[in-house]
Amino acid sequence: MAEIVAAALASHAPLITGKPEIARPEQRERLYAGFHEMRRRLAAARPDLLVMFVNDHLQNFPYSNLPAFCIGVVDAYDAPSPGGSKLMRIPPRKLRGAPRWSMALLEAGLAAGFDFAYSYEIDSWDELAVPLHFLNPDGDIPVATVYTNCAAPPLPTLSRCHEVGAFVGRFARSHAGASRVAFVATGGISHWVGTPETGRINPEWDHWVIDHIERGDVEPLLRLTWEQIEGDGGNGGQEIRNWVALMGAVPGAKGEALAYEPVPEWITGCGTMWVHA
Amino acid sequence: MINVSYPLNKILTALAKAHVTRERLSDAELAGHDLGEAEKTALLTGDIRRLYDLGANPYLIRRVFRPRFPI
Repeated sequence: MAEIVAAALASHAPLITGKPEIARPEQRERLYAGFHEMRRRLAAARPDLLVMFVNDHLQNFPYSNLPAFCIGVVDAYDAPSPGGSKLMRIPPRKLRGAPRWSMALLEAGLAAGFDFAYSYEIDSWDELAVPLHFLNPDGDIPVATVYTNCAAPPLPTLSRCHEVGAFVGRFARSHAGASRVAFVATGGISHWVGTPETGRINPEWDHWVIDHIERGDVEPLLRLTWEQIEGDGGNGGQEIRNWVALMGAVPGAKGEALAYEPVPEWITGCGTMWVHA
Repeated sequence: MINVSYPLNKILTALAKAHVTRERLSDAELAGHDLGEAEKTALLTGDIRRLYDLGANPYLIRRVFRPRFPI
């Protein structure tokens, strides 16, 4: 049995650490303050496992094999790898995984009708490396991952992501392999990456997402279609699937925005939220 | 239906994995890949909008053709 001691949501973008100097200082400092407050609360919660809801950016899963949901059963994550390190300007490091816990999650998921893929090797980009640079700087908390396809459509529905998150939440509470579990989801909020609208940010939509999470009102999020998100939140906005999965893991919880900044230089509507699990 | 070009995404994935960034690709880089004429032209000219319209994944477009993006 485990206690859920913390839950948090954060945007990820390689330029948050890769080019901090190009952002307006006041925006950068407010956003960094959000990450630091998240780190302070997370450390105070003393988790013995970080369960991360994240997504690949096609560095692991190619078009010859694209899982909708994948459990990382790795001994250690490259977070970042030497290649990604240059872009994110974070020293390469290995982050300890939780392969036994993750394998148990995988087996339980398959038994319960959640047909997860799994991977023994994950090269993390900004989805793990950037937020964990702030949140797990010493790398002392093992990390388990649930990867959701948010980048190579067609994508799983938000409703299904929520169901997967709910299952992960139930599993985490019932499994003896960890006693103090923290959930962290990364991605979003609005951003257009590599499309003809690259650089666009939609703060209005970002606030709509944040407001719903603050109220714990996730139903409207679950009804969003790929087309709606693509139009209002961009292809990067599809990553709110990870946020929705986390909200499924902590039913009834309400969020608290720690920071929100639409940072054009980082081409991302950047948010950090604490979720009162 | 979502427009996906497997040939474009296959070559762009290979280049991205090798951390290649280009304004445009060369004939040599296209050799051995099964691409249509429109796909070849878009890659050789670094036409990022056309690549998107042809079904290349935008994350891969940005990774490989990063010099084409003003931000």
